[in-house]
Amino acid sequence: MARDPKYDILFEPIQLGPKTLKNRFYQVPHCIGAGSEKPGFQAFHRGMKAEGGWGAICTEYCSIHPESDDTHRLSARIWDDDDVRNLAVMCDRLHHFGALAGIELWYGGPHAPCMESRHNPRGPSQIPSDFEVNTHPRYMDKDDILLVEQMYVDAAVRAREAGFDIIYVYGAHSYLPLQFLSPFYNKRTDEYGGSFENRARFWKECLEKVREAVGDDCAIASRFAVDTLYGPSSIEIGEDGVRFVEHVDDLVDLWDLTVGDIAEWGQNAGPSRFFEENHEKPYTGQVKAGDHTNKAVVGVGRITNPDTMVAIIGSGQFDIIGAARPSISDPFLPKKIEEGRPDDIRECIGCNQCISRWEIGGPPMICTQNATAGEEYRRGWHPEKFHPAANGDKGVLVVGAGPAGMECAMVLGKRDMEAVHLVEADPEIGGCVNWISQLGHSDGNENIFRGTARGLGEWKRIVNYRQIQLDKLKNVEVHTGSTLSTNDILEYGAEIVIIATGCHFATDGLNPATHDVIEGADTSLDWQLTPDEVVKGEKQIGKRVLVLENEGYYMGVSIAQKLAGQGHDVNLLTQMGDIANYMEFTLEAPMLHRDLHRLGVGIHPYTMLEKIEPGVCHAYNVWKPDHKESFEVDTVVLCTQRLSNDELYHELRADKDALEREGIEAVYMIGDAAAPRMIPDSIFDGHRLAREIDSPNPAMPLPFIRERRLWGEVTNQDYEAMLQNTPDVEPMVVAAK
Amino acid sequence: MKIVVPVKEVAVLDEEFELLEDRPGVDPDAIEWDLNEWDDFSVEEALQLREAGGDGEVVVISVGGEEAEEGLRACLAKGADRAVRIWDDALAAADPLAVARVLAAAVGRESPDLVLCGVQSSDGVHSATGVALAEHLGLPRVAVVKALEHEGGALTVERELEGGLVELLRLRPPALLTIQTGINEPRYATLRAIKQAKEKPLDVVGLGDLGLEAGAVEAAAGSRVRSMSHPDTGEGAEMLNGSPAEVASRIADIVKDKMSG
Repeated sequence: MARDPKYDILFEPIQLGPKTLKNRFYQVPHCIGAGSEKPGFQAFHRGMKAEGGWGAICTEYCSIHPESDDTHRLSARIWDDDDVRNLAVMCDRLHHFGALAGIELWYGGPHAPCMESRHNPRGPSQIPSDFEVNTHPRYMDKDDILLVEQMYVDAAVRAREAGFDIIYVYGAHSYLPLQFLSPFYNKRTDEYGGSFENRARFWKECLEKVREAVGDDCAIASRFAVDTLYGPSSIEIGEDGVRFVEHVDDLVDLWDLTVGDIAEWGQNAGPSRFFEENHEKPYTGQVKAGDHTNKAVVGVGRITNPDTMVAIIGSGQFDIIGAARPSISDPFLPKKIEEGRPDDIRECIGCNQCISRWEIGGPPMICTQNATAGEEYRRGWHPEKFHPAANGDKGVLVVGAGPAGMECAMVLGKRDMEAVHLVEADPEIGGCVNWISQLGHSDGNENIFRGTARGLGEWKRIVNYRQIQLDKLKNVEVHTGSTLSTNDILEYGAEIVIIATGCHFATDGLNPATHDVIEGADTSLDWQLTPDEVVKGEKQIGKRVLVLENEGYYMGVSIAQKLAGQGHDVNLLTQMGDIANYMEFTLEAPMLHRDLHRLGVGIHPYTMLEKIEPGVCHAYNVWKPDHKESFEVDTVVLCTQRLSNDELYHELRADKDALEREGIEAVYMIGDAAAPRMIPDSIFDGHRLAREIDSPNPAMPLPFIRERRLWGEVTNQDYEAMLQNTPDVEPMVVAAK
Repeated sequence: MKIVVPVKEVAVLDEEFELLEDRPGVDPDAIEWDLNEWDDFSVEEALQLREAGGDGEVVVISVGGEEAEEGLRACLAKGADRAVRIWDDALAAADPLAVARVLAAAVGRESPDLVLCGVQSSDGVHSATGVALAEHLGLPRVAVVKALEHEGGALTVERELEGGLVELLRLRPPALLTIQTGINEPRYATLRAIKQAKEKPLDVVGLGDLGLEAGAVEAAAGSRVRSMSHPDTGEGAEMLNGSPAEVASRIADIVKDKMSG
């Protein structure tokens, strides 16, 4: 089908200095865990987006010198010619698919802890990073300023050599150029501090010198936070925000606009739990609306809806649609609009699992919606191409249509298996997502800082996308409201059986802190609940509620937030040093803390329950167990741990004769049924099994390419030999320089 | 009890489709075939009656080309005993009354105790085939049945009327009922049943096998399609832009304006 003419505006080219962007789809710089050390990962992940129609694709932040080393986190680096060689692979692959390549030149100042290089970063003033531990920058005198400006120039020249088309001087998330501009960081009294012109001088000089060096050949971009959300102590949109854009507008070809800083950059990469699509418009939208620039503007805001994109460009908010997360979730988003099939778009759910891995400091990026993200090179997975399974004539029964089961059945269908049956006990497919997506709300009334507790409703996109795809697959039958017994499965007539029956919360307080049950814990009682029971609403909940949270992610805090929002008095206990540790990595934590404090939830870290009695819970401090505390309660919610629903699997496997008699050749188990985990990992597990259903032993994942340095003489083929059976991804067509 | 269930393979159109230029019809590239939704319920009702009675036979019959065999096989997989597909090129443009005439010949040969049709087909939406078939067969008929019980040789039937009214009827077979959706929970076929259904009898018969001539079928028809066209596109759609609150406010103004006008 041809694209709807209403989307034509998204496919109009636009000039960026000496370069032409072929359409309005632009992958802004974002981390993936590849950097310059994993050139295959870098080239094939970015290249997938080029293949999917994005007009330009950028690297993550790319360090210009060893004294800007972000280790323990992973950036790209363009320190020397060997980095040029590795990053050139990405440029070549993007150019092969007709896209422009951008590089985000980065100097972190005090935010770069230099844990690998052991250099010392320089900064405008000697104030340590507001989130790193004990990283004091070295004060930059005039010579240092010239030295660092030359680092930008040298890096830009190397970037041009690598083949980059768009070269950034990156300031946005409170890195060095913005540190000079912002009085929050810059306390200088010389010509680089004080007045606006003085504070803007360093950034302006960097732009001038980079432009002078490479501006004839490359487009010059700058990423700028138009408001750091600190009020008058830093950059505000109506003050230095628009003033800086006007001040250096002649020096850039493209503005890449954001809000917020790095310490709380969830204000920029806003999780859906608190921020809606296009949430930065009130800030970034003012630049063009107020006619402060003559240059092209790209902006973000987890924009996944083609109609929103049209409205943004049509209204003059931005010229170009920027995307990080939506491009990870669906690298083929532009192609799907172009081909007139927007209902196939795999929309980002705003869970920020991608970001979490960078925040953790090293693991490759993952995506809840797109299990192939990060696997393009090392596993040879393509998000849209699926070669037919060699054992496609086998009938497959997938039991359970939660995240793992839906994904597995969908991929098996796309691999042209002749007959796949997905059977679900509930009336709807979706499994745990159906109730989890109802969490994340509190009282719904008040804004918290800049966002609102709008809930996890967008997580339902996990189900919506797969529902639409499953409906289109004629070789997959989905049957709901049907509970299968072991005997039903034996007699079903499938050669391959896949158990995806999910998990349940412990009902007796079994937990990771004590590896034991809790005395008196019993959710069969009407005043003790598991989290899913809170959402299902079948039990009365009293005024005084205690929530025990031992998982460290969103569940316990979401229950506390919901019940406090409904007017209950809530105490939240965890054995850990803080509640919901993992939400620090997903950038949801700051807003969550604000909401819990606003709601008056009592937060008790390092605290565990030893005994539950009617009306009272007995707790103790984990560092001083004789330090005890009692909580009067009407209701207790136990979010301690989960346990797999694996009975069917073990019963089937226990009777090998019956399997043989009924013609069942293989029984597999995926997702939470095998071991409870996070949703992206369940989806990955289902996807992995389906991708490898015709491998010699599908129960065991195939090896993947490990891009570590191999000792001695090696070639690219030595790495790629680690990979088997991957005809979906186009091989590298241009040899690395 | 022997039950015959006439079913139909219906055309499901793509969102965008083209009409044929040389004759009334839709471009077959834009058509997918699927068993009529109402027939899932009539087949299920037949299977449940047979299972409750302990013996008997369920025969599914369809007038259609080769595409109809997929739907018939699906009925066999769910548990129907036999299938019959009737086809002749003369039936390509047959209207519901003509189809009913053909079905009458095939159903009559079976001498069933009960005939269960769907209330209507989702593509034609005439609700005519079932009642016309009853007329041809000379059977008592009850249309739009939403509940059915069989006890002591008698059927107790609830009929859905307008405005939520229900008509309660009792009758003795043989009879023809048209079955409404929601009367039961249609089962699905396991992979094994689907495989086994490939071995069940599916007879393909022509008009001659039923003792019919093309002329008789044509004479039974009550209508013919002379042409098909897309309806004219109206004008005056107004796109509302702005925040949800602004759009809601504008909609409220329009509604107030229309209601006062």
